[in-house]
Amino acid sequence: MTRLHMLGLVAATALFAATSAHAEGDKAAGRKLVYTCAGCHGVPGYTNAYPQYPVPKIAGQNEQYIVNALHGYQSGDRKHPTMDAQAESLSDTDIQDIAAYLSSLAK
Amino acid sequence: MNRVLTLISFGAVLAFASTAALANGNAADGKTKAATCFACHGTDGNSVDPQYPRLAGQYNLYLQQVLHEYKSGQRDNPIMKGMVATLSDQDIEDISAYFSSLPGKLDTLKGHIGGDN
Repeated sequence: MTRLHMLGLVAATALFAATSAHAEGDKAAGRKLVYTCAGCHGVPGYTNAYPQYPVPKIAGQNEQYIVNALHGYQSGDRKHPTMDAQAESLSDTDIQDIAAYLSSLAK
Repeated sequence: MNRVLTLISFGAVLAFASTAALANGNAADGKTKAATCFACHGTDGNSVDPQYPRLAGQYNLYLQQVLHEYKSGQRDNPIMKGMVATLSDQDIEDISAYFSSLPGKLDTLKGHIGGDN
């Protein structure tokens, strides 16, 4: 019984930690914010210049990955001239909202 | 006129060089080579853990670009750095061919922005 209680407590703590680690984004707000993104990410097959490669599909991408990518551009851990500039204008809440919306688009 | 011609030929060379650099690989070979990717990115390329990107249906040439960036260090990620260290250019082409060929949940933003529909 004690062991069961312990297990329950551990599970509850883990659940709480997981949910509090990242706040839930607002999809409706995200939908407005991605207007700018569509200039490149909304054009099927649109290519980056120098070097040339297609701009990635981001609709349906995983939420935390998007959050990490945008924070990475902000901090300079991840570099791309256009994306650095875009990410710079975003607040933490904006990033949560964008990630919530994009991940919700999974086909 | 001469300058224009020179510029055009420069452009042509650049265009040719960039397409030649990223060729299409063999998806069947890629499936075998991608075995270590599956733990995080899923066998079907649709990572369940939200911190890892979905790869299924992503653009082939984008995946190749990213793997080369991890290899060169231009994109710095401790996990991916270790993963790509042993990959040849051919491996990168094959693995990218495999993941991009899978049916996925990814899409462009076309039709998904405010005011679109």
